[in-house]
Amino acid sequence: MRIELDRPRCEGHGLCEEEAPALLHLDDEGELVLDRDEVAEGTPEAAAASAAVRVCPVAALRLA
Amino acid sequence: MSTKAPIAVGDLDLFSDEVLVDPYPTYTALRETAAVVHLPVNDVYALTRYDVIRDALADTETFSSASIGFNPMVNEALQGTSLASDPPVHTQLRATLSANLTPRSLRGLKGQIEEKADALVAELVESGSFEAIDALGRVFPIQVVADLIGFTDEIRATMLRWGQAAMEVIGPMNQRTAENFPVAGELYAWCSQVSADDLAPGSVGRSIFEAEARGEIPPNTAGHIIHQYLGAGVDTTVAAIGNIVALFGQHPDQLALIRKDHALVGSAFNEVLRYWAPVHAWGRRVTRDVEIDGALVPAGSQVAILFGAGNRDPRHYDAPDTFDVTRNPVDHLSFGYGPHGCAGQGLARLEAHAIIGSLATRVERLVVGEARRVPSNITRSIDALPVLEVVPA
Repeated sequence: MRIELDRPRCEGHGLCEEEAPALLHLDDEGELVLDRDEVAEGTPEAAAASAAVRVCPVAALRLA
Repeated sequence: MSTKAPIAVGDLDLFSDEVLVDPYPTYTALRETAAVVHLPVNDVYALTRYDVIRDALADTETFSSASIGFNPMVNEALQGTSLASDPPVHTQLRATLSANLTPRSLRGLKGQIEEKADALVAELVESGSFEAIDALGRVFPIQVVADLIGFTDEIRATMLRWGQAAMEVIGPMNQRTAENFPVAGELYAWCSQVSADDLAPGSVGRSIFEAEARGEIPPNTAGHIIHQYLGAGVDTTVAAIGNIVALFGQHPDQLALIRKDHALVGSAFNEVLRYWAPVHAWGRRVTRDVEIDGALVPAGSQVAILFGAGNRDPRHYDAPDTFDVTRNPVDHLSFGYGPHGCAGQGLARLEAHAIIGSLATRVERLVVGEARRVPSNITRSIDALPVLEVVPA
């Protein structure tokens, strides 16, 4: 599964980072960085990615 | 198509005094009736359950923001704002509005906001007893927003009245809405003529005008942006901060949990917002015939999204009527969700986390008296709350 970011929509709320710190983080400028954008289905990483997508308050993240 | 019409609840006025003061029994009854119910008195289809609300907020094609208010005058007045527009027009307006409000642009303010909150809380704790809404719930967000935009003292004194009116007029054309239109009009008129010189040097308000002068945002949008900061950012945050004090007063065990573990500050704010939603109802217009949980809502219908009903949906949250600061309901609906999710939520979090952090540091227990509530169409807030005794930490 692929984590996709709608960058213009991302406002840097950072809630996703709390759910999946191993997959993505806000850099020093407050811009979201995807450290990994592929996760294997059924793994803990996929669950974390899915939680990160779910908490984005502006729906800027999705799993495809 | 075999889809049936939504169940009608014939006699309910969603905006009656009784419902506005204590909407939760009504929310429960509506939510247990159906995910969408028709309310003929208000001529709306109300969304009552968590999943349908979140789905509707995400689906801007079907649920248009052209009708976020419950009377045609306010929807007319809001035309051209990000609040009332749909993608793709919305996308640029939203970016312009939120440019100075995103967490990344507010990062530098965190320390200042925490200092202001702590100075205020320290003073109130020292005083031993205080009126929580005037002395904290109102003072603090007004100070933060006024400092951010760069308002003069004269404008600070009217911010509360303007902010309340801007929310009130989003209701149906009842007496409250009618009485508040002139006040909301004063705010609109002031924002239409405000200029950079009226705002403090170095403020965000002035930088918005400078961006307009440089052609970075369209002509005449700076005033509209300031209008939205004032209209949306005052009354709602006042409600949330008042609710923090009231809920901590009513649930000393929950305050004790935060005192023991300050990592719960964010979770506690999410729970305050989930438990008592600051916004009662928000509108959408259905652009096509849409089936919601097996019921057909016809194209053109006005929808009322009941955030507070969704936030207490037992299909989504266990024991939803329990106030539990360890729950961390990060997906609560009180900021909305998706493209129109509250543009000021980063600022609201900074303010509320600062207040909760200071209370948890300085206060052992708050002995509160009875909260007074005054019916208001859209914002549900406490109007007066005596803190009879502060037991300091």
